[in-house]
Amino acid sequence: MQSEGLFSRFLGMFENVIGQDHGSLALVFLIGIIFGGIIQYTRVDKFEKIAGFAMLKDTIVPKMLFLAVGLTSIGLYFMIEAGIAHYHVKPILWQGLVIGGTLFGISMAILGKCPGTGPISISEGRIDVLIGAIGGLLGGLVFTLYYDDFFKPLMGESAGKLTLPELFPGNEHMVVLIFGVVVTLIAIAIPKMELFDEADLCQLPDDHRPDRKI
Amino acid sequence: MNRLPWWMGGILMSGLLLLTFSTFGADRPIGASTYVPYFAGIIFDLDPEKYGYLKHIANSGAWEGVMLFGALLGGFVTSVFITKSFRFSLIPTGWKKYKNNSVLSRLLWSFFSGFIMIIGARMAGGCTSGHFMSGMSQMAVSSMIFGGVVLVVVIITGRLFYNVKEK
Repeated sequence: MQSEGLFSRFLGMFENVIGQDHGSLALVFLIGIIFGGIIQYTRVDKFEKIAGFAMLKDTIVPKMLFLAVGLTSIGLYFMIEAGIAHYHVKPILWQGLVIGGTLFGISMAILGKCPGTGPISISEGRIDVLIGAIGGLLGGLVFTLYYDDFFKPLMGESAGKLTLPELFPGNEHMVVLIFGVVVTLIAIAIPKMELFDEADLCQLPDDHRPDRKI
Repeated sequence: MNRLPWWMGGILMSGLLLLTFSTFGADRPIGASTYVPYFAGIIFDLDPEKYGYLKHIANSGAWEGVMLFGALLGGFVTSVFITKSFRFSLIPTGWKKYKNNSVLSRLLWSFFSGFIMIIGARMAGGCTSGHFMSGMSQMAVSSMIFGGVVLVVVIITGRLFYNVKEK
Protein backbone atom coordinates (compact mmCIF):
# COMPACT_ATOMS: atom_id res chain seq x y z
CA MET A 1 0.00 0.00 0.00
CA GLN A 2 2.93 2.27 0.77
CA SER A 3 4.15 2.09 -2.81
CA GLU A 4 0.67 2.75 -4.14
CA GLY A 5 0.54 5.90 -2.00
CA LEU A 6 3.90 6.94 -3.40
CA PHE A 7 2.66 6.38 -6.94
CA SER A 8 -0.43 8.49 -6.42
CA ARG A 9 1.65 11.27 -4.87
CA PHE A 10 3.85 11.32 -7.98
CA LEU A 11 0.71 11.35 -10.10
CA GLY A 12 -0.33 14.44 -8.12
CA MET A 13 2.81 16.18 -9.38
CA PHE A 14 1.71 15.78 -13.01
CA GLU A 15 -1.85 16.87 -12.18
CA ASN A 16 -0.46 19.93 -10.42
CA VAL A 17 1.52 20.98 -13.53
CA ILE A 18 -1.53 20.43 -15.76
CA GLY A 19 -3.50 22.70 -13.43
CA GLN A 20 -0.83 25.44 -13.46
CA ASP A 21 -0.68 28.15 -16.07
CA HIS A 22 3.01 27.62 -16.83
CA GLY A 23 2.98 25.65 -20.07
CA SER A 24 1.37 22.32 -20.91
CA LEU A 25 2.66 19.12 -19.33
CA ALA A 26 4.19 18.14 -22.67
CA LEU A 27 5.98 21.49 -23.01
CA VAL A 28 7.46 21.36 -19.49
CA PHE A 29 8.65 17.81 -20.19
CA LEU A 30 10.10 18.96 -23.53
CA ILE A 31 11.92 21.87 -21.85
CA GLY A 32 13.48 19.24 -19.57
CA ILE A 33 14.51 17.03 -22.49
CA ILE A 34 16.21 19.96 -24.26
CA PHE A 35 17.84 21.10 -21.00
CA GLY A 36 19.23 17.60 -20.41
CA GLY A 37 20.29 17.30 -24.05
CA ILE A 38 22.21 20.60 -24.08
CA ILE A 39 24.01 19.82 -20.80
CA GLN A 40 24.90 16.32 -21.91
CA TYR A 41 25.95 17.30 -25.45
CA THR A 42 28.23 20.10 -24.19
CA ARG A 43 29.63 17.71 -21.53
CA VAL A 44 29.31 20.31 -18.76
CA ASP A 45 27.86 17.62 -16.49
CA LYS A 46 31.31 16.07 -16.13
CA PHE A 47 33.23 16.21 -12.86
CA GLU A 48 36.23 17.51 -14.80
CA LYS A 49 34.25 20.59 -15.87
CA ILE A 50 32.93 21.98 -12.55
CA ALA A 51 35.59 20.57 -10.18
CA GLY A 52 38.07 21.44 -12.95
CA PHE A 53 36.88 25.04 -12.81
CA ALA A 54 37.26 25.00 -9.01
CA MET A 55 40.91 24.02 -9.61
CA LEU A 56 41.12 26.68 -12.37
CA LYS A 57 42.04 24.04 -14.91
CA ASP A 58 38.84 24.23 -16.97
CA THR A 59 36.79 27.26 -17.96
CA ILE A 60 34.08 25.79 -20.21
CA VAL A 61 31.33 26.12 -17.57
CA PRO A 62 31.84 29.84 -16.80
CA LYS A 63 32.28 30.64 -20.52
CA MET A 64 29.01 28.92 -21.39
CA LEU A 65 27.15 30.36 -18.37
CA PHE A 66 28.25 33.95 -18.99
CA LEU A 67 27.41 33.71 -22.69
CA ALA A 68 23.93 32.35 -21.92
CA VAL A 69 23.35 35.13 -19.36
CA GLY A 70 24.65 37.91 -21.63
CA LEU A 71 22.50 36.90 -24.60
CA THR A 72 19.40 36.12 -22.53
CA SER A 73 19.53 39.39 -20.56
CA ILE A 74 19.17 41.50 -23.72
CA GLY A 75 16.57 39.25 -25.33
CA LEU A 76 14.54 38.92 -22.15
CA TYR A 77 14.49 42.66 -21.47
CA PHE A 78 12.96 43.42 -24.85
CA MET A 79 10.53 40.53 -24.51
CA ILE A 80 9.36 42.00 -21.22
CA GLU A 81 9.05 45.45 -22.82
CA ALA A 82 6.96 43.85 -25.57
CA GLY A 83 4.75 42.19 -22.98
CA ILE A 84 5.58 38.60 -23.91
CA ALA A 85 7.52 37.76 -20.71
CA HIS A 86 7.56 38.82 -17.06
CA TYR A 87 10.09 39.39 -14.33
CA HIS A 88 10.43 36.65 -11.70
CA VAL A 89 13.05 38.25 -9.49
CA LYS A 90 14.14 36.54 -6.28
CA PRO A 91 14.28 38.64 -3.09
CA ILE A 92 17.52 39.79 -1.48
CA LEU A 93 17.94 37.82 1.75
CA TRP A 94 21.49 38.74 2.69
CA GLN A 95 22.12 35.95 5.21
CA GLY A 96 20.40 33.33 3.08
CA LEU A 97 22.37 34.33 -0.02
CA VAL A 98 25.76 34.49 1.70
CA ILE A 99 25.43 31.37 3.91
CA GLY A 100 23.56 29.47 1.20
CA GLY A 101 26.01 30.55 -1.50
CA THR A 102 28.95 29.47 0.68
CA LEU A 103 27.49 26.00 1.34
CA PHE A 104 26.59 25.73 -2.33
CA GLY A 105 30.05 26.76 -3.51
CA ILE A 106 31.82 24.28 -1.22
CA SER A 107 29.58 21.41 -2.32
CA MET A 108 29.79 22.32 -6.01
CA ALA A 109 33.60 22.14 -5.92
CA ILE A 110 33.59 18.78 -4.08
CA LEU A 111 30.75 17.05 -5.91
CA GLY A 112 31.71 18.59 -9.25
CA LYS A 113 28.02 19.00 -10.10
CA CYS A 114 25.13 21.32 -9.37
CA PRO A 115 21.45 20.43 -8.95
CA GLY A 116 20.89 20.89 -12.70
CA THR A 117 23.88 18.96 -14.04
CA GLY A 118 23.85 16.26 -11.32
CA PRO A 119 20.77 14.40 -12.62
CA ILE A 120 22.21 14.51 -16.15
CA SER A 121 25.35 12.72 -15.03
CA ILE A 122 23.23 10.18 -13.13
CA SER A 123 21.42 9.55 -16.42
CA GLU A 124 24.77 8.62 -18.01
CA GLY A 125 25.51 6.11 -15.24
CA ARG A 126 27.50 7.97 -12.55
CA ILE A 127 26.79 6.09 -9.31
CA ASP A 128 28.78 8.49 -7.09
CA VAL A 129 26.47 11.32 -8.15
CA LEU A 130 23.45 9.14 -7.34
CA ILE A 131 24.82 8.83 -3.80
CA GLY A 132 25.17 12.62 -3.80
CA ALA A 133 21.53 12.90 -4.87
CA ILE A 134 20.47 10.71 -1.93
CA GLY A 135 22.42 13.08 0.32
CA GLY A 136 20.63 15.96 -1.39
CA LEU A 137 17.25 14.36 -0.83
CA LEU A 138 18.01 14.09 2.89
CA GLY A 139 19.22 17.71 2.83
CA GLY A 140 15.87 18.67 1.29
CA LEU A 141 14.11 16.67 4.00
CA VAL A 142 16.03 18.37 6.81
CA PHE A 143 15.42 21.79 5.23
CA THR A 144 11.67 21.10 5.00
CA LEU A 145 11.39 19.72 8.54
CA TYR A 146 13.25 22.57 10.21
CA TYR A 147 12.33 25.42 7.84
CA ASP A 148 10.08 27.36 10.20
CA ASP A 149 12.12 26.85 13.37
CA PHE A 150 15.66 27.10 12.08
CA PHE A 151 16.28 27.93 8.42
CA LYS A 152 13.77 30.72 7.88
CA PRO A 153 15.10 32.84 10.79
CA LEU A 154 18.67 32.05 9.69
CA MET A 155 17.95 33.35 6.16
CA GLY A 156 16.98 36.75 7.58
CA GLU A 157 14.57 39.40 6.39
CA SER A 158 14.06 40.24 2.74
CA ALA A 159 15.63 43.52 1.63
CA GLY A 160 13.22 43.56 -1.32
CA LYS A 161 13.48 42.60 -4.97
CA LEU A 162 15.83 44.71 -7.02
CA THR A 163 17.26 44.59 -10.53
CA LEU A 164 20.27 46.42 -11.92
CA PRO A 165 18.32 48.70 -14.32
CA GLU A 166 16.14 49.88 -11.40
CA LEU A 167 19.26 51.40 -9.84
CA PHE A 168 19.62 53.73 -12.82
CA PRO A 169 16.19 55.24 -13.46
CA GLY A 170 15.91 56.86 -16.86
CA ASN A 171 18.80 54.86 -18.32
CA GLU A 172 17.27 51.38 -18.20
CA HIS A 173 17.82 50.57 -21.87
CA MET A 174 21.44 51.62 -21.72
CA VAL A 175 22.10 49.59 -18.56
CA VAL A 176 20.59 46.46 -20.12
CA LEU A 177 22.60 46.85 -23.27
CA ILE A 178 25.87 47.48 -21.41
CA PHE A 179 25.23 44.57 -19.03
CA GLY A 180 24.43 42.17 -21.85
CA VAL A 181 27.40 43.18 -23.98
CA VAL A 182 29.87 43.22 -21.06
CA VAL A 183 28.79 39.78 -19.79
CA THR A 184 29.00 38.36 -23.34
CA LEU A 185 32.48 39.87 -23.75
CA ILE A 186 33.53 38.36 -20.40
CA ALA A 187 32.42 34.95 -21.72
CA ILE A 188 34.61 35.41 -24.79
CA ALA A 189 37.52 36.92 -22.85
CA ILE A 190 37.82 34.14 -20.22
CA PRO A 191 40.79 32.11 -21.46
CA LYS A 192 39.70 28.72 -22.71
CA MET A 193 41.16 25.94 -20.61
CA GLU A 194 40.12 22.32 -20.59
CA LEU A 195 40.64 19.39 -18.27
CA PHE A 196 39.99 16.17 -20.15
CA ASP A 197 38.89 12.77 -18.91
CA GLU A 198 41.19 9.98 -20.05
CA ALA A 199 38.21 7.60 -19.96
CA ASP A 200 36.62 9.63 -22.79
CA LEU A 201 39.83 10.36 -24.68
CA CYS A 202 41.02 6.77 -24.90
CA GLN A 203 38.05 5.95 -27.13
CA LEU A 204 39.33 8.36 -29.77
CA PRO A 205 41.98 7.81 -32.43
CA ASP A 206 45.22 9.60 -31.64
CA ASP A 207 44.85 12.35 -34.22
CA HIS A 208 41.34 13.20 -32.95
CA ARG A 209 42.36 13.74 -29.35
CA PRO A 210 41.80 17.41 -28.47
CA ASP A 211 44.46 17.22 -25.75
CA ARG A 212 47.16 16.30 -28.28
CA LYS A 213 46.41 19.16 -30.63
CA ILE A 214 48.61 22.17 -30.22
CA MET B 1 33.72 12.08 -27.95
CA ASN B 2 31.00 13.99 -29.75
CA ARG B 3 30.25 17.30 -28.15
CA LEU B 4 29.11 20.83 -28.80
CA PRO B 5 31.48 23.78 -28.34
CA TRP B 6 30.82 26.10 -25.37
CA TRP B 7 29.50 28.95 -27.52
CA MET B 8 26.94 26.69 -29.16
CA GLY B 9 25.89 25.47 -25.71
CA GLY B 10 25.54 29.06 -24.50
CA ILE B 11 23.43 30.08 -27.50
CA LEU B 12 21.17 27.03 -27.22
CA MET B 13 20.78 27.49 -23.46
CA SER B 14 19.89 31.15 -24.04
CA GLY B 15 17.23 30.09 -26.55
CA LEU B 16 15.79 27.62 -24.06
CA LEU B 17 15.73 30.23 -21.28
CA LEU B 18 13.93 32.74 -23.51
CA LEU B 19 11.40 30.10 -24.60
CA THR B 20 10.74 29.17 -20.97
CA PHE B 21 10.37 32.82 -19.90
CA SER B 22 8.02 33.73 -22.76
CA THR B 23 4.27 33.81 -22.32
CA PHE B 24 3.89 31.38 -25.23
CA GLY B 25 6.30 29.07 -23.40
CA ALA B 26 6.05 28.59 -19.64
CA ASP B 27 6.05 32.24 -18.42
CA ARG B 28 8.49 31.37 -15.63
CA PRO B 29 12.23 30.90 -15.11
CA ILE B 30 14.11 27.60 -15.26
CA GLY B 31 15.02 26.23 -11.84
CA ALA B 32 16.58 22.99 -10.70
CA SER B 33 16.74 22.79 -6.92
CA THR B 34 13.17 23.24 -5.63
CA TYR B 35 12.26 19.78 -6.90
CA VAL B 36 14.53 18.19 -4.28
CA PRO B 37 12.59 19.16 -1.12
CA TYR B 38 9.42 18.58 -3.19
CA PHE B 39 10.52 14.99 -3.88
CA ALA B 40 11.54 14.59 -0.22
CA GLY B 41 7.96 15.53 0.66
CA ILE B 42 6.58 12.92 -1.75
CA ILE B 43 8.97 10.12 -0.82
CA PHE B 44 8.77 10.58 2.96
CA ASP B 45 5.02 11.27 2.76
CA LEU B 46 5.13 14.63 4.55
CA ASP B 47 1.85 16.48 5.05
CA PRO B 48 1.95 19.89 3.30
CA GLU B 49 -0.58 21.15 5.85
CA LYS B 50 1.92 20.48 8.60
CA TYR B 51 5.05 21.73 6.85
CA GLY B 52 4.59 25.26 5.55
CA TYR B 53 7.60 25.07 3.24
CA LEU B 54 6.02 22.26 1.18
CA LYS B 55 2.90 24.35 0.68
CA HIS B 56 5.07 27.27 -0.34
CA ILE B 57 6.91 25.24 -3.04
CA ALA B 58 3.98 23.03 -4.17
CA ASN B 59 3.70 24.60 -7.64
CA SER B 60 7.32 25.33 -8.46
CA GLY B 61 8.41 21.96 -7.03
CA ALA B 62 5.95 20.07 -9.24
CA TRP B 63 6.93 22.10 -12.33
CA GLU B 64 10.64 21.43 -11.78
CA GLY B 65 9.89 17.78 -10.99
CA VAL B 66 8.29 17.25 -14.39
CA MET B 67 11.15 19.16 -16.04
CA LEU B 68 13.62 16.91 -14.20
CA PHE B 69 12.00 13.77 -15.60
CA GLY B 70 12.41 15.28 -19.05
CA ALA B 71 16.04 16.19 -18.29
CA LEU B 72 16.81 12.63 -17.18
CA LEU B 73 15.36 11.28 -20.42
CA GLY B 74 17.12 13.91 -22.54
CA GLY B 75 20.43 13.27 -20.78
CA PHE B 76 20.10 9.49 -21.04
CA VAL B 77 19.17 9.44 -24.74
CA THR B 78 21.95 11.91 -25.60
CA SER B 79 24.54 9.94 -23.63
CA VAL B 80 23.59 6.66 -25.31
CA PHE B 81 23.14 7.81 -28.92
CA ILE B 82 25.13 11.02 -29.36
CA THR B 83 27.99 11.43 -26.89
CA LYS B 84 28.19 7.65 -26.33
CA SER B 85 29.39 8.38 -22.82
CA PHE B 86 26.94 6.14 -20.94
CA ARG B 87 28.80 3.84 -18.55
CA PHE B 88 28.47 2.97 -14.88
CA SER B 89 31.23 4.44 -12.77
CA LEU B 90 31.86 5.08 -9.08
CA ILE B 91 34.73 7.53 -9.18
CA PRO B 92 35.60 10.27 -11.70
CA THR B 93 38.99 10.26 -13.42
CA GLY B 94 39.68 13.78 -12.17
CA TRP B 95 39.05 12.70 -8.57
CA LYS B 96 41.65 9.92 -8.94
CA LYS B 97 44.12 12.36 -10.39
CA TYR B 98 43.69 15.27 -7.98
CA LYS B 99 42.23 13.71 -4.81
CA ASN B 100 42.62 9.98 -4.16
CA ASN B 101 41.86 6.49 -5.48
CA SER B 102 39.38 5.57 -2.76
CA VAL B 103 35.83 4.82 -3.90
CA LEU B 104 34.63 5.04 -0.31
CA SER B 105 36.14 8.52 0.05
CA ARG B 106 34.43 9.68 -3.16
CA LEU B 107 31.05 8.26 -2.11
CA LEU B 108 31.19 9.73 1.40
CA TRP B 109 32.21 13.16 0.08
CA SER B 110 29.47 12.92 -2.57
CA PHE B 111 26.85 12.17 0.05
CA PHE B 112 28.04 14.98 2.31
CA SER B 113 28.32 17.57 -0.48
CA GLY B 114 24.91 16.59 -1.89
CA PHE B 115 23.43 17.14 1.55
CA ILE B 116 24.84 20.65 2.06
CA MET B 117 24.30 21.56 -1.60
CA ILE B 118 20.54 21.37 -1.33
CA ILE B 119 20.44 23.13 2.04
CA GLY B 120 22.63 25.89 0.58
CA ALA B 121 20.56 26.22 -2.61
CA ARG B 122 17.28 26.38 -0.69
CA MET B 123 18.66 28.93 1.78
CA ALA B 124 19.76 31.14 -1.11
CA GLY B 125 16.51 30.53 -2.97
CA GLY B 126 18.08 29.09 -6.09
CA CYS B 127 21.00 27.30 -7.71
CA THR B 128 23.06 27.58 -10.88
CA SER B 129 19.89 27.43 -12.98
CA GLY B 130 17.51 29.56 -10.90
CA HIS B 131 19.98 32.19 -9.69
CA PHE B 132 22.98 32.19 -11.99
CA MET B 133 21.26 31.62 -15.34
CA SER B 134 17.65 32.75 -14.87
CA GLY B 135 18.28 35.33 -12.13
CA MET B 136 21.30 37.05 -13.66
CA SER B 137 19.52 37.16 -17.03
CA GLN B 138 16.91 39.32 -15.30
CA MET B 139 19.78 41.34 -13.82
CA ALA B 140 18.48 40.53 -10.34
CA VAL B 141 20.73 41.92 -7.62
CA SER B 142 20.04 38.88 -5.38
CA SER B 143 21.35 36.55 -8.10
CA MET B 144 24.50 38.64 -8.58
CA ILE B 145 25.23 38.43 -4.85
CA PHE B 146 24.72 34.65 -4.99
CA GLY B 147 26.79 34.30 -8.15
CA GLY B 148 29.66 36.33 -6.66
CA VAL B 149 29.73 34.35 -3.41
CA VAL B 150 29.57 31.00 -5.23
CA LEU B 151 32.36 31.87 -7.71
CA VAL B 152 34.72 32.90 -4.92
CA VAL B 153 33.90 29.94 -2.64
CA VAL B 154 34.16 27.41 -5.49
CA ILE B 155 37.67 28.58 -6.34
CA ILE B 156 38.83 28.70 -2.69
CA THR B 157 37.41 25.21 -2.04
CA GLY B 158 39.01 23.84 -5.19
CA ARG B 159 42.39 25.17 -4.09
CA LEU B 160 42.12 23.75 -0.57
CA PHE B 161 40.37 20.45 -1.29
CA TYR B 162 42.31 19.11 -4.27
CA ASN B 163 46.03 18.56 -4.78
CA VAL B 164 46.08 21.16 -7.50
CA LYS B 165 49.83 21.44 -7.90
CA GLU B 166 50.48 17.74 -8.42
CA LYS B 167 51.02 16.84 -12.09
